[in-house]
Order: sequence, then structure tokens, then C-alpha cells
Amino acid sequence: MSTLEVKNLEKSFGKTEVLKDISFSVEKGEVISILGSSGSGKTTLLRCLNFLETPNAGEILVNGNKIFSANDKRLSDEEIRQRRLNFGLVFQQFNLFPQYTVLGNLTLAAKLKVKDDRQKAFAEIEEKALDILHSVGLYEKKDHYPCQLSGGQQQRVAIARALMLSPEILCFDEPTSALDPELTGEVLAVIKSLAARKMTMIIVTHEMAFAREVSDRIIFMDGGVIAACGTPDEIFSGNGGDRINKFISAMSNK
Amino acid sequence: MKLTKILALILAVIMMALPLCSCLGNGKGSGDETTADKAKSSDLAYIQKKGTLVIGMTDYAPMNYPDENGEWIGFDTEFAYLVADELGIEVKFVPIVWDTRWFALETKDIDCVWNGMTLDETAKANADCTNPYVRNAQVVVVKESAKNTYTDASTLKDCTVAVEVASAGKGAAEAAGLKFVEYPAQSDALMAVESGKADACIIDITMANAMTGEGTGYEHLAPAFSLTEEVYAIGCRKGSDLTAKINEIMAGLMKDGSLRKLAEKYELTLVTEAE
Amino acid sequence: MDINVFLEVTAKLLDGFLVTVQIFGLTLLFALPLGLIFSFASMSRFTPLKLLMKVFVWIIRGSPLMLQLIIVYYGPGLLASAMARAGNFNIIYDIAEYLNSFSPLTATVVAFSINYACYFSEIFRGGIESIPRGQYEAGQVLGMTRTQIFFRVILLQVVKRILPPMSNEIITLVKDTSLARIITCYEIIYMGESFTKSAGLVWPLFYTGAFYLVFCGVLTLLFGFLEKKLDYFKS
Repeated sequence: MSTLEVKNLEKSFGKTEVLKDISFSVEKGEVISILGSSGSGKTTLLRCLNFLETPNAGEILVNGNKIFSANDKRLSDEEIRQRRLNFGLVFQQFNLFPQYTVLGNLTLAAKLKVKDDRQKAFAEIEEKALDILHSVGLYEKKDHYPCQLSGGQQQRVAIARALMLSPEILCFDEPTSALDPELTGEVLAVIKSLAARKMTMIIVTHEMAFAREVSDRIIFMDGGVIAACGTPDEIFSGNGGDRINKFISAMSNK
Repeated sequence: MKLTKILALILAVIMMALPLCSCLGNGKGSGDETTADKAKSSDLAYIQKKGTLVIGMTDYAPMNYPDENGEWIGFDTEFAYLVADELGIEVKFVPIVWDTRWFALETKDIDCVWNGMTLDETAKANADCTNPYVRNAQVVVVKESAKNTYTDASTLKDCTVAVEVASAGKGAAEAAGLKFVEYPAQSDALMAVESGKADACIIDITMANAMTGEGTGYEHLAPAFSLTEEVYAIGCRKGSDLTAKINEIMAGLMKDGSLRKLAEKYELTLVTEAE
Repeated sequence: MDINVFLEVTAKLLDGFLVTVQIFGLTLLFALPLGLIFSFASMSRFTPLKLLMKVFVWIIRGSPLMLQLIIVYYGPGLLASAMARAGNFNIIYDIAEYLNSFSPLTATVVAFSINYACYFSEIFRGGIESIPRGQYEAGQVLGMTRTQIFFRVILLQVVKRILPPMSNEIITLVKDTSLARIITCYEIIYMGESFTKSAGLVWPLFYTGAFYLVFCGVLTLLFGFLEKKLDYFKS
């Protein structure tokens, strides 16, 4: 059974069709990179998985459970909150909460869900958060505020915050695009370490070399459809077609 | 604490600036000294001889007050010009300190007090007063439907009465021992009655006549009774023959309607011959 | 200056100042939450409500506060009188009579609260709309509810952003309280004027300025303190 299965997903904004009949699946522990020029629909796809957009058609299944179907009645806010927790999302712009410390950013949402025995639950949450901060190398920064951190550090905090949900699938929306080139390395290193620990991940990125190195499979999107899907070697071999080759060479020369 | 010190300092600076402010608004000129003519025979002759009627007055609208150019206007001002014309002499207005008006009259600093002077016992004792010419009263205005309920001050005992801030109406309410609320203007006091905020208001009769009853903004309000009544007269020197002369001229001006026109202009109520 | 007169004037002005502070405090107490509700209404996705709110804000901001005071204070009474004369004793008459029973202070606080809530709502709206959408989305993907996102994530950032315009508005409110005297709320300017009108003393009126300056000074310090307090993060 696939960890994630997307069937015939469609999404349009007004008259613009952004996603047309998207179907793919992700196996447990697999790392999928989604490539494509801007406007190809890759970010919208991630947002649909995270319930930030509602698809017009199609189904989403996690571990065989249908968590979304366009044919079913509208989901309540509560249902959406439950189901989106299958996914974690790391934003291009980090979107850390500026008024909370690093630790506060990690623990806020979890603490809000605690119903009883707060003391014990809070201690567990903080312990988990500190463990995760260790793993992304930011334990020392736990009491810093986001504005005191570099962009790379902020994005690592954002990744740690997403990991707090223990999601089935962790999604990245161009995690290094907002960073200075010299800061991308530390973020990519964290993602690589997650891949080594067999975290199931979907990464929308423009980092060609990174995508080739870390991914098990690559999905190439163009004009709202999956133009190609295959192992990095298949996609980067030059046999994927003109558009793919053009895109890859354009992005690689950047 | 630092905060308290700063506040204290601010307050101190402001307090030091205050005396400066209170110095503003002092300058009132004093009248020229007239050469004392001891001819006791006739006050009128004395005045006509010097050719100027010196009138003591204060800034008191609508009787005497300066217009935007600083020229004196007002009912009494224009009235005085009319009388002086008849006498064939000039008029000179001298601002006086109201408390010392009788003294100024006696020392011939002025020839008469002509400034919306209430004709009361003090005035009669200290001056030769002319016939009254303008009537003023503080009247109680109520809803027309309740007009018959209110007949004198005692009927207002448990009522809320609206008055203008620092007005004669307020004085009248105080004197009658009424419970009152001060409004910014007489018109606000009327609105308070109309809206039921107050049961009655005490305002000038002139105002009451102009603003209540049919064809006005307050059709359903009406004056119920007068709380205090007063009339205005001109005060001349004791034993002066000017008094009779002014009375004579005034009667003529009443008859030919000149005073009525003035009264309408300044929205005052004349004392009519019938009374 | 006679020290006794000075003390007497000070005591009377303090009486008025107390009323001023009451108007100020009560207005803030009601206008702040009301402003927040108004701002939500003006950002509502339910178009009729949004339009209604916009028109309401336009009317309140577009007409003088003095007029609104007079309407709140005299309006219901004038309406009730007219209805009584017409023999119309329905529910509207009862409401008007009830509103007419408001004391001058209550009427002032009602008029001021509505007026200031409208100004506040526009400041709140600007503040809320200036928070990037990513902050909401970050809260959403972490499984937080709308309410949690607003109160735990958005609100403090909004507060930080709107503090300067709010301090302006609130200091204006201090001085606007003097309008209340036209509906017989005996605040400090009224008290100052009463000396000018009855005793011919001009300086008490100028003296009231000292009270305002001190009050606004305290508020300025308070806002400076708050701004500093929120300096620890940047949004």
C-alpha cells in the first residue's frame, strides 16, 4: 500500500486550470522531488495536499485511507485539521511566528492541543522539541527569537517545527529559494539527513543537483500536468524530451 | 521615582506660565475727565453747553457692545444716538466700572448710566431714573400640554429645570431653590425640555417669545410664568432736569415707532404705554 | 494669586478631571473590543454585512462627534415626545424612552464608544490585513484553529504594528472628552469655563491645560513603554 496516493486531482482558479488530472503515488520512505518552471502548478499541488487549497476534482489517500474526495461533502474545519496533520509543510518564506522563541515556535501548536494533565504533557512536548532541535543542530538557539537567526537557521527551525507533527509525509515548498546561496547548504544538509532516516518527503525545488542526489524519483510538471516521472537518472539522462532538457539545462546554469 | 519627577517638572513649568495668561485681557480704557462746571442751575444746560452727552456703560450685549470694527452698537447705543440727535449734541461712550457707577455720576465723570440698567431700589436711591423702556424677565418654559400644571415656583419643586450656564436664569433658579442642570446655551435648555431631559427651563422672555409656539422650532413648548421680572431705565444725576427731557424724547420715539424698530432689531421687549 | 482661590479652583477642576478620566476609561473599555468586532465585520466575506459596516463607518467617521453626542443625548427624547403627541406608544416609543433615560455620562460613553470603535476598526483592519498570509497558513498546517491562530499568532503582531496609530487616536480621545460638556457632562473644561462665566476668572480655563498635558504625558510614556516591550521581535 502506498503511503500517499493522489488520483485525478484537478484545481482551477476561476477559468485558469492550474492542475489537470494529476495522479501519482509515494511509497514509504521515498523522497520525491517535483521540478518544473514557475506556473507549472507544483506549489498548488503541495497546497492541495495540505488543505490550503481545495481541489475541484480527485482523491487523496494516505495509507489507503481516503482523506479527501471532491465528490464527498465539504469537510468541516475540524476534519480538515485532523487530516492535514498527515502532512507537514515547510514554506519558502519560513513563516516562523516572530513573537515566539525557537522553542515556542516548535511547541505552540502541540501545547494548544493538550486537554488535561498539562504539566506532564508540556514536559513531554518540550522534550520532543529539544530532541528535534538537536537533530537540526539548533539546540543552542532554542531561546532565540526568529529575528536573531540567519535565514538558513530560520528555515531549519521551520523544518523542526514541521517535524513536531510527526507527519507521514513532509512537504517542502522551495525551501531554499528565499535564501542567500551560501545559506542553502545547511538547509539541504538537514533534508538529506532526513532522507537518510527514511522520512517520506515531497520536495518542490529548483536545486537540480540536490534533487538528483537526494530523490528516489523526480516528477517533472509542465502546464499543470505531470510531463514526466522517473528516477533521477531517467530524467537527467536527456531522454525525457525537449522541454525537460531545456528546463534542466536552464536551471542548472543558474 | 523618575516618572513622578518628570511629571512634577511638567506641572511646575505650566504653573509658571499661568500668571502670564491671567495678565491677558485687562486693558479697558478710562474716561476723559470732564472739566467740572459748577453751574448748579440746570444739568441739561450744562450738558448742552459742553455739547456732549457722556454715557457710562459696560460691554453688555445686546445693549452696548462693539461690532467687528470696534464701533459701539447695541440697543442702548442706538437709542442714545437718537436722543442726542433730538438734543442736538454729540454722544460719548465711556466704559465704567459698574460698581462705581453712582460715584462716576456724582463727580460728573459721566452724565448718565445708560446700559440696560435694572430699575431696582438701588438705582432709584442713587439716581434720577427715567421711565422704564425695555422689559426683561426670566420665564419658565414647559411643554404646552403641561402649561397649566406649572403656575409658580413652588410647582417646580420636584422638577428638573434646565438653565443656561452662568445666566440670569440660573440665578433665578438658585434664588427660588430649584434643582437645576446647566446647559451650554438657552437653546440647549429648550431642547432639553422638548426631549424630556428636563421638565422646564428658565430663559429670557425675549428668547422664549422668539423660539416657542406656533411657527417656531418648538411648537409644543410655551412660557408658563415669569420667575423674575425686571425693567431697564436710564439713570441721571440726582435732581437733574435731563431725566424729564429724556422721558419726553423717549415718549416721542415710542410713538413714532423708532424704538419698536430697534427692539425688533435687537430682539427685545419694549415696555409699552399700555402697561 | 490667593492660595485659597487656587486650591478651590484646583479641587473643582479635579472633580471635572475625574469625569474626564471616566469618559476616557469607559470609552476605551468599550471601543477597543467593539472596534475589533467592527473590523471583523468590515473584513467579512458575507458581502451585505461588509457593505453595512462600510456605510456605518462612513457615517460615523464622516459626521462630527459633537453632532453624534447631541443625537444620542437628545434624539431619543425628541422622538419619544413626537410619538407621544401622535399617540404612538409602540415598542419604538419604549426603546426611545429607555434611551432617553441615559445619564449625560452614559450618553457620552455610548456616543464616544461607537465613534472611536469605528476609527479603531479601520486601524485594526489595516493592521490585520498587513500580516502576511503565511502566518495564517503556518498556523493552519500545524493544525491550529482559526481562533487559536488569531489570538496566539496574529494578534500580538497586529498590536505591535498598530501601536503608533493607536496612541495617536487615544491621545485625541483624551482631548475629545471636552465635547461632553455640551450635553451637560461636567468635565474639566466645563469646570474651567464655569469660573470664567461666573467669577470672571480666566486662568482656571488655562489651568485645565496642565491636567491634559500631564494625562497625555503619562499616556505617551505608557505607549513608549509598550512599544519598547514589543521591541523584542520583528514582524
